[in-house]
Amino acid sequence: MDLGLLGQYLLNGLMLGMIYAMVAVGFTLFFGVLDVIKFSHGDVLMVGTFAGLATYLGLESVGIDSPWLQLLLVVLVSVSAMAVLGALIAKFLILPLKDAPPLNTLLATLMLGSVLRESVRLFYPNGSNPKPFPRLLPTDEWSLGTLTLRVDNLILLAAGVAAIVGVHLLITRTKLGLAIRAVAQDGETARIMGINFEWIVLLTFGLGSGLAALAGVMNGLYYNETNFGIGLLLGVIGFSAAILGGLGNVYGAILGGFIFAGLQTLGSVALPAVLPSVPSAYKDVFAFTAVIVIMAWKPTGLIAEKSSERV
Amino acid sequence: MAHLVIENITTAYDKADVLQDVSLEVEPGKITCILGSNGSGKSTLIRSILGLTPPRRGRILFDGQPITHLATHRIIASGIACIPEGRKVFPKMSVAENLRLGAYQESDQAVVARRLDQVHEIFPRLKERTGQFAGTMSGGEQAMVSIGRGLMAAPKLLIIDEPSLGLSPLYVKENFNVIRRINELGITVLLVEQNVHQTLAIAHAGYVLLQGRVVARGSAAELADNEEVHAAYFG
Repeated sequence: MDLGLLGQYLLNGLMLGMIYAMVAVGFTLFFGVLDVIKFSHGDVLMVGTFAGLATYLGLESVGIDSPWLQLLLVVLVSVSAMAVLGALIAKFLILPLKDAPPLNTLLATLMLGSVLRESVRLFYPNGSNPKPFPRLLPTDEWSLGTLTLRVDNLILLAAGVAAIVGVHLLITRTKLGLAIRAVAQDGETARIMGINFEWIVLLTFGLGSGLAALAGVMNGLYYNETNFGIGLLLGVIGFSAAILGGLGNVYGAILGGFIFAGLQTLGSVALPAVLPSVPSAYKDVFAFTAVIVIMAWKPTGLIAEKSSERV
Repeated sequence: MAHLVIENITTAYDKADVLQDVSLEVEPGKITCILGSNGSGKSTLIRSILGLTPPRRGRILFDGQPITHLATHRIIASGIACIPEGRKVFPKMSVAENLRLGAYQESDQAVVARRLDQVHEIFPRLKERTGQFAGTMSGGEQAMVSIGRGLMAAPKLLIIDEPSLGLSPLYVKENFNVIRRINELGITVLLVEQNVHQTLAIAHAGYVLLQGRVVARGSAAELADNEEVHAAYFG
């Protein structure tokens, strides 16, 4: 294989890994603070993408057409709206179920995900068809031999790195991060320290959901298309990535995201080469199968999680 | 001031540990102890004061203000701190982070730094181990982290739950000395213990809980001679 193509695969894998990591971090944060699995997470990402799309269309209709201003507002509206939605879901669906068996929360959020998905399909204009997502970033290209670098992809990669580093700094360096880690390690003792437990839970769900919205907008900008079903696949992938890394561990989730993207990329390269009759679209099947094998080998995730090792 | 008054509280929750019509008073500046064996309701009493399991009936006043149904973080904000049973350090955090969490509600860095110096003065070991994960320390060192963390809140009232539990006799003795020193700093102490003799040696007054009820009260000297105390433990 030539180097340019290899580079292309590598960049694509990094981009996907970034998006998956951003989704997986949400799963792992939610599990960290409340020991719950919030299955509507992927669909919140999708709603965030559509909120961004609607913002773009709204700006177009009132004649604001500077791409940078559009981009800024699309990201701002999408991220803040989903942060609020995530906090509301925590407040009215997840916290009331805090003392119920965890399966109830899983089921309730699974159903909420369906409601969000079907609502977009039904109520967003022509919602059941794929939507073009605008190109808001410059699409200049640089050719390095057979490798083509696009400016928009590089910006997206940089934005993803910034988001992940930002989360890392928030968790490790700020007072809010200290409180999130305290709640994750021992919720009751955290309350005895004077931490407002409910407020930290809501902020954590807001943080994870805002991050998912950013991932959704980045996904839209990358593929220039979105649809009401993207949350389902991205949700399952993000969840797998979080489990792969060890649920509850932020760095495990990030690692899991990149591993999953690596497996997909490997699948799309290796499958057609080894089995010419299998199209590269089976890369997801390959990646999920590999996840099952890894889970059988390391049932608690790659970065071993004991109950005392949260976030 | 740090005057805690508990009036006729009844608390029940699913773990069967129940308080019935309990009244008691913690006088400012003193060490007040609650004696009782396992299952006597000591933990539930603390949970009630901290708002973790609010009482079903009765009320709790701190410096005249009712705190009965406040959220835990508001009760802490009123000047109460707790050194929980079993130390409950945050295992995957450094000693420094554990201590910082003790002063979570204080946002003035200078004040936090000053309190940290005071804690380091009482426990020089914690200064040496500042970057170590608390979960990797010995039981005695974790007790220092937990007590230091309680002091970081600079509370008016410090609730200390079973400080001698699971510690070697040497540390137990040291712990009681530390509690006396804390009280001498002007902090009111509510000490919950099973260890009768050492507790009564440092306490000013106390109560005996048996099956969720107060069965005896009085000064430490009175309690030392009280039949109910012996009955509660040995009867």
